[in-house]
Amino acid sequence: MTVSSEAIAVPDSTAPTISLLRELRRGRTRQRAASAAYWVYIIVLIVALYGGSQIAAAFHALRHPPPAIALTPRILHAAPAGLAALALILLLVLLRDALWRGPVTLPQVTVDWVLGTPVDRGRLLRPRFRVSAAVAVLAGAAVGVVPAAALVGLGLGGRNSGSVLRLTLVAMLSTALLFCFATGSAALVERSADAARWLRRLTPYACAAAAVLAGMAVWAALGGPAPVLSAIALWSGPWGWAAQGMTALAGGAAPLWPAATALTGVLAVVFVIWGHHAAAGVPGAALRVRARTIGAMSAAVLSMDTRGIAVAYGGRASGRRARLRLRPPRRRELVLLWRDLLALARAPSRLLGAAVLALLAVGLLAVAGPGGQASLVPVATALGLGYLAAAWLCEGARLDAEDTRRSENLPFRFESLAWWHAAVPCLVLLVVAGAPVVAASVATGSARFVVWLVVIVPVLVAGALVNVFRPRNHPDLFGGVETAVGNTAAIGVLLWFVWGPVLAVAPMTVLLSSALHASRPGALTRTVVVGLGLAAGLGIYASVRARRLRSA
Amino acid sequence: MPPSQPPPLLSLHGVSRSYGERVALRPIDVALTAGRCVAIMGPNGSGKSTLLRIAAGRDAPTAGQVVYAGRALSQDDLVVRTEIAVVGDMVSAYPDLTVREHLELVAVAHGAGRDRDELIDGALADCNLADHGGALPGSLSSGQLQALHLATMLVRPRRLMVLDEPEQRLDPARRRWLGELLHAEKQAGAAVLMATHHVELAAAAADHILVLRDGELVAQGTPDTALAALG
Repeated sequence: MTVSSEAIAVPDSTAPTISLLRELRRGRTRQRAASAAYWVYIIVLIVALYGGSQIAAAFHALRHPPPAIALTPRILHAAPAGLAALALILLLVLLRDALWRGPVTLPQVTVDWVLGTPVDRGRLLRPRFRVSAAVAVLAGAAVGVVPAAALVGLGLGGRNSGSVLRLTLVAMLSTALLFCFATGSAALVERSADAARWLRRLTPYACAAAAVLAGMAVWAALGGPAPVLSAIALWSGPWGWAAQGMTALAGGAAPLWPAATALTGVLAVVFVIWGHHAAAGVPGAALRVRARTIGAMSAAVLSMDTRGIAVAYGGRASGRRARLRLRPPRRRELVLLWRDLLALARAPSRLLGAAVLALLAVGLLAVAGPGGQASLVPVATALGLGYLAAAWLCEGARLDAEDTRRSENLPFRFESLAWWHAAVPCLVLLVVAGAPVVAASVATGSARFVVWLVVIVPVLVAGALVNVFRPRNHPDLFGGVETAVGNTAAIGVLLWFVWGPVLAVAPMTVLLSSALHASRPGALTRTVVVGLGLAAGLGIYASVRARRLRSA
Repeated sequence: MPPSQPPPLLSLHGVSRSYGERVALRPIDVALTAGRCVAIMGPNGSGKSTLLRIAAGRDAPTAGQVVYAGRALSQDDLVVRTEIAVVGDMVSAYPDLTVREHLELVAVAHGAGRDRDELIDGALADCNLADHGGALPGSLSSGQLQALHLATMLVRPRRLMVLDEPEQRLDPARRRWLGELLHAEKQAGAAVLMATHHVELAAAAADHILVLRDGELVAQGTPDTALAALG
């Protein structure tokens, strides 16, 4: 009898269910294993072919590690607090991962078909935690190579390959233990909503602590009381304990590093055991939300949709109400401006971020401006920051490009949207960056700063729109074309992502850096003509891309 | 002396749900006894699915209490997972398992024994999927997928059925069959809580109808009175 008005006995169905699922999915498991083996083979082959000689040379060079340089003593003083700060940030990142993903996750199908059955959660979830812990050990060991390599490169690797190897192994061990500790703690965060709330509350304090440690590192490097600062940093918590082995083997003062490493080990083991125990109790609701988020994020990653990734991540926080309202315009020509203004007004963090980036760009240009060294790098960096600000402000265009049906009811042709969506970002950037630029113009009595701004802003916004209306990615993109110098797939994918900034920032960098240092009166006119021509060209190109996107 | 009322199998006391600032469900009381069917009706966004998710233990109320068989309801409770069959929030299927294998998985997970094949054959026949037992989900129509989800309910033990718009994507004949099925389930002693937009289904299966609008209970009663209120 399967329908009952009385209590139903809970069946002991875990073993047969897991065994049936394993049997039914054996083919798929084999297929996945073969696919994973294939990828490992490809990666090993690529590394061996392209990096084999470099790796061999690096090992050969370890016999004679780089000698100390003038800055080496300062770096050694800064190392304890600096490494502790990095370890704390790493720990925080790994723990916060548990707020949306964590070490215990299930695929959506398993959530849909098995989670609601009486199958024992421990048997279902603990293997997932064990896999995550094993991956954490490997990832931690791999990450540990980075600080070790940095220390060796900065002349702190000792005199021979033996000392380099010891430093590297201790760094790998310490980082692996830190990852294990983080994985165990993350399972506890995943299991308990209270722990997750505490983690959210403590995050700003942890960031502040990392900033203090970084400040201590700078102070120690500049001649602060290194032994005191080092002792405080190295015993401030597990992040400091994990840094002790590296500090000691790099030549710093951490005499109790074996004890500190052992302490990190004990902590890692205790938390992994605790996390393993807690894994069985991760609530079904948390697993459902995580499966959904990971599914959406995986789809976005596979389609290289960076915005989709952000939406999947941010989509967990829902339920906000739109408080701010703007009266819709009467004239139909103004409807997109109204829509874009509304989008920005309802995402003040986007507006604020763009403003900060724009002001940073102006500041950098002021430093690299007339009288500065004729270097392309600061100009390109400033324009890059300005481009990012423009891209942040193009949210309205991005929404329309993401789903071309959204704008179907608007009284505009799709290709003309690129032009309409340029208005608000241009306006915002001109206002935000305009204030300091106008002030500088008044102070120096030269209007050319304002003229440059009026030229730069439309170019950057048009470049951002070229990127917004990029074509949907296609599997052919990953195939590339075989040429005499290799396959074009990597370049194709890269350009798919950055074609807009390449077209806007690169020519503008050349134009602006020559204008910054030119004194002839014709230079300004040339900048205006070429810049506005570039903006118009990019606008037309964005519009053409929009048409192609619509018809695709 | 009046006949004593059986204790409710599922009761929601002052249950409400908010998502941030948005109130999805205002305080509501619902009681459901064995052998009865309560249907929840109302326009889209009225809070039907929210109420069902809470009743199935898939979501926690912001305020109020949900009691199932005398205990606080939680989806992680083994008894709840054993006794409550939920249809409506499944979004995926194993792409490499056939229809029959999906049903085998559910039946085995719920402790089906020797009667497993018989149960599965019966469910496939009832849901008009007898010819599709060997089909992969990717080859099914949306209506057949919905039939698969309904079939999973039939191969497992159930004391309470929580169904979110079970009629969706079914053809008229299957919808009629669904009404008869729910009636038979009630007769056999199961309690049924379902959200539906289909007036005929509600009239055929429900003993009591709740009408929600904007998260608020605006009318309730027998099918005749509640459907009249619904207009």
